Amino acid sequence: MSGSGQTHDDHRQWAETSHCRVSAARHLGGFAVLELIAPRIARRAAPGQFVMVTVPGEGYLLRRPISLFSAEADCIALLVEARGRGSERLTRLEVGDVVDVAGPLGSAFPTQGVTNALLVGGGIGCAPLQYLADELAAAGAHVTAALGFRDFRAARAVGAFTIERLSVATEDGSVGRAGTVLHLLAALDVAPGTTVYACGPTPMIAAVQRWTFHEGLRGYVSLEAHMACGTGSCHGCVVDTARGKLRVCSEGPVFRLDEVTP
Amino acid sequence: MSDRRPPAPETDLSVRLGPVELAHPLVDASGTLDVLEYARRYDGDYLADFPYAAYVPKTVTADPRTGNPPPRVTETPSGVINAIGLENPGVHAWIAQLGEWAALRAPVLVSVGGNSPEQYAAVISALEAHLAAAPPGTVPDVRGYELNVSCPNVVGGLQIGADPTATAEVVGACRAATARFLLTKLTPNVRDVTEAGAAALGAGADGLSLVNTFKAMVLDRDTLRPFLGNRTGGLCGPAIKPIALRMVAEVARAFPDTPLVGMGGVMTGLDALEFIACGATAVAVGAANFTSFEAPQRILAELRDEVAARGFGTVGEARGIALRA
Repeated sequence: MSGSGQTHDDHRQWAETSHCRVSAARHLGGFAVLELIAPRIARRAAPGQFVMVTVPGEGYLLRRPISLFSAEADCIALLVEARGRGSERLTRLEVGDVVDVAGPLGSAFPTQGVTNALLVGGGIGCAPLQYLADELAAAGAHVTAALGFRDFRAARAVGAFTIERLSVATEDGSVGRAGTVLHLLAALDVAPGTTVYACGPTPMIAAVQRWTFHEGLRGYVSLEAHMACGTGSCHGCVVDTARGKLRVCSEGPVFRLDEVTP
Repeated sequence: MSDRRPPAPETDLSVRLGPVELAHPLVDASGTLDVLEYARRYDGDYLADFPYAAYVPKTVTADPRTGNPPPRVTETPSGVINAIGLENPGVHAWIAQLGEWAALRAPVLVSVGGNSPEQYAAVISALEAHLAAAPPGTVPDVRGYELNVSCPNVVGGLQIGADPTATAEVVGACRAATARFLLTKLTPNVRDVTEAGAAALGAGADGLSLVNTFKAMVLDRDTLRPFLGNRTGGLCGPAIKPIALRMVAEVARAFPDTPLVGMGGVMTGLDALEFIACGATAVAVGAANFTSFEAPQRILAELRDEVAARGFGTVGEARGIALRA
């Protein structure tokens, strides 16, 4: 994408709509892992990219931007959290339902040349990290993940992850270590030159950004924003960055960790 | 990519918007579709396959604008509220990019914004100078302008459109800067929408487009504070369609032979036909562009079916039906 030379140059975006059948649905508390048959999306996708999903039924207008949880062969998977009316409806999708999906969209996590990767996620922000871990591991990188959740209910999402070196924290101490991902990071032995990948709520991004600078590391962050078009037209999803206001849907969602101002 | 059956080819959907021949009545509403962004996200040649009969780009102003602080957009019941704030690179950077979409197959109506008559005219003068000097094939087919005097999200925008005298001053300055087709886009945030319409036409506008968004507010449900960074925004989508239809009908009745672009919550072909029945010559599609890439093709196929199902030979036969006594 123009102006974002540090992120994937070779990822492809696609605005056309695919009608995708739900081939598997796993419900984890307020989350759902939805597997969709979407060969054209799966073949183009890269970790960090997202799709725009039409909420089935009357009374929903805008599509919901949802990052790719995985993409393999002819299928993509989405990890969806019931947060508002629309996303709650998506978590109730069942096997056999058909949903309209556009994508892949947005920038991808750069992975080339990465040998040590530290993935840091908070809440639903953990979603793009599984796909990233899969690709990094396939390329031979050493991948460690630290995921943080608010409470026991939110930590149900951990069940969707299959990252080998995975540590979990909950703020209420019900699952994993009591505290935040920052407590997990402090306990890790991080190799020099490790690339940090972060996605989560704004306070977490700010904290991870400070920690990364302090450790002398570099990294990337995936941001989320309210979107209307998801395809670069409306300028509704801008965030402030060191490069000025940039669109999360076009220049992002993946940015360099040192250029965002959470 | 429409799921519908192929439209009946014998139904004539072509219309004349003033001097501009349109293959069908549908155009995009300014700020809801960017041809270059879609071209980057499409396997085919989007500039050749462009589905609308004319292209209205996002509003361009004399100087660059960074727009409003985020968040800028969210969904409301049957609607969308936005406060983008006319973010754009300014007319000179905008002109420098024209070559990238020069091959667009549709005529272009350039949306112009500003805070003063001089700023509006400066945009038009800069573009006219460029068009006059540009070698063939290096610029898109610019046929006219839409003066956006009705953005509710910038200082100056709405105030111009709500004030007939200020509207006339902007239109007059732009009329002096171009001989091309000149639309003025009216705000619905007024007591009588025909007053600014009369001022625009009296100052030399060739036609009117309406409505822009309704000034509105949405709260963060946790904090009960305004959700949008700009506090207020403009409401569009199906929620505003009945009000927009009423206003288009009022304007069509007041200025019967004037080219009109009607808009406000058009999601289906029937919605578009309703605006034509209220007197619109052409119909702009806005929020529906956010719902899918294929929305314009679907709405066009539905419009063709609606026109044919009613036994009209041309779409023009439906124009103004709702205005009859």
